[in-house]
Amino acid sequence: MAERIDLEVPATLNALSTVRMVLGGLGARLDFSLDDLEDIYLATDELLRTALDADPLDRLSVEVLLDEGVLRFTAGTFKSAKLRADVTMHAEDCLDLCMLLRRTVDDVVLEDEGGAYRIVLVKRRQGGPA
Amino acid sequence: MSGPDERRVNDPLDLEAPPGQARAVTAEDEEEASAHGGPAAYAQGRGRDDSEKLDQYLLRRYHLYGDRAAREQLITMYLPLVRSLARRYASRGEQFDDLVQVGAIGLIKAIDRFDLSRGVELTTYATPNIVGEIKRYFRDKGWSVRVPRGLQELNIRLNKVIDELVPKLQRSPTINELAEAANATPEQVLEALETSQAYNSVSLQASPNGEGGEEDAGLIDYLGGEEEAYDTMEDRTTLAPGFAKLDKRERYILHLRFFEGLTQSQIAERVGISQMHVSRLIRRSLERLREEIGELDNPQIMRPPGDDPR
Repeated sequence: MAERIDLEVPATLNALSTVRMVLGGLGARLDFSLDDLEDIYLATDELLRTALDADPLDRLSVEVLLDEGVLRFTAGTFKSAKLRADVTMHAEDCLDLCMLLRRTVDDVVLEDEGGAYRIVLVKRRQGGPA
Repeated sequence: MSGPDERRVNDPLDLEAPPGQARAVTAEDEEEASAHGGPAAYAQGRGRDDSEKLDQYLLRRYHLYGDRAAREQLITMYLPLVRSLARRYASRGEQFDDLVQVGAIGLIKAIDRFDLSRGVELTTYATPNIVGEIKRYFRDKGWSVRVPRGLQELNIRLNKVIDELVPKLQRSPTINELAEAANATPEQVLEALETSQAYNSVSLQASPNGEGGEEDAGLIDYLGGEEEAYDTMEDRTTLAPGFAKLDKRERYILHLRFFEGLTQSQIAERVGISQMHVSRLIRRSLERLREEIGELDNPQIMRPPGDDPR
């Protein structure tokens, strides 16, 4: 059965550590391997850092959904066009946010909500025990 | 202190005297040396030539005749100097006793490498060796923020456990498996992993086991076999924004992770360093890239032409 955790933290770099710790605990519950966890740490860290730079927010809302070996991380809502471009557009031979996300999570989805959007990262358990 | 008559009978400074008859440095001598700031300063009080000759005598005994007792005596004599130098660094978050131990390694290296023909005092030669060893300790083993000792120890334990479990399981371990193997709770493991990012072990000149001694092979040596592979990817990744600012090894590790798609465990195995070290290097390299790209602020690369940045 799916389990949902909502988290709201100050929109500061210091708060990213709290997000990582929560993700680590939830990933451990899904029996994610260390490599999988490192991937989700990198993906969320880079995404949220870019988001903090691009969108002037006071609070950052994060939702984590756990379901049968799948961790679905949602952050938002955002309005920045730059962030949207950074997440979706990849320049060849450039280690940009888009490429980093492609290499670390299974799916990246943008959910539009009126003029704003939320970013969803999906990570499936891969390297853990059978 | 020995009087002139006594020295004549049992003179440790007589280089021709048989080893068995050499006068050992007494506790009284050490205490006095310590009180006066070490053997060199002590020498000024009791006669500079005497102390220099004592050093020289002991160094000759050790280097020419392999007299281990003379080496031990030199180490004991100069420990007050090590303590004095370690004290300078004691306020930086490391245990004083640990710094003394590290400094003592520098002292021993200085004694072992001392060249009798160069005509310098042991103090002059030993001081930079001791300070260098302490600084290397901070550089290679230091933490950028204060981390509780228990977590530091768990971190070190985890490093070993991960290296043992990956080949055993033939995959990256889970947090629960790490917790069981490290005799800790999953929460403690997660906390230790989180704090490991505060670990300053980024020097690729340091050896993978973190010792960082000059005789130890640095990471650069472990990467030697990969030079050919590195060269083939060089053209591709140096063109990426910000990559030029990274050093060769950082570029190589990022290349393996993001262009070749290797996992951190696979990179650790390929490069010959721990998975935790790979994790730290990737994060720090990304941080540097982010800073560099921020400075470049090149909209042609990061955004489509004409797109509103906001």
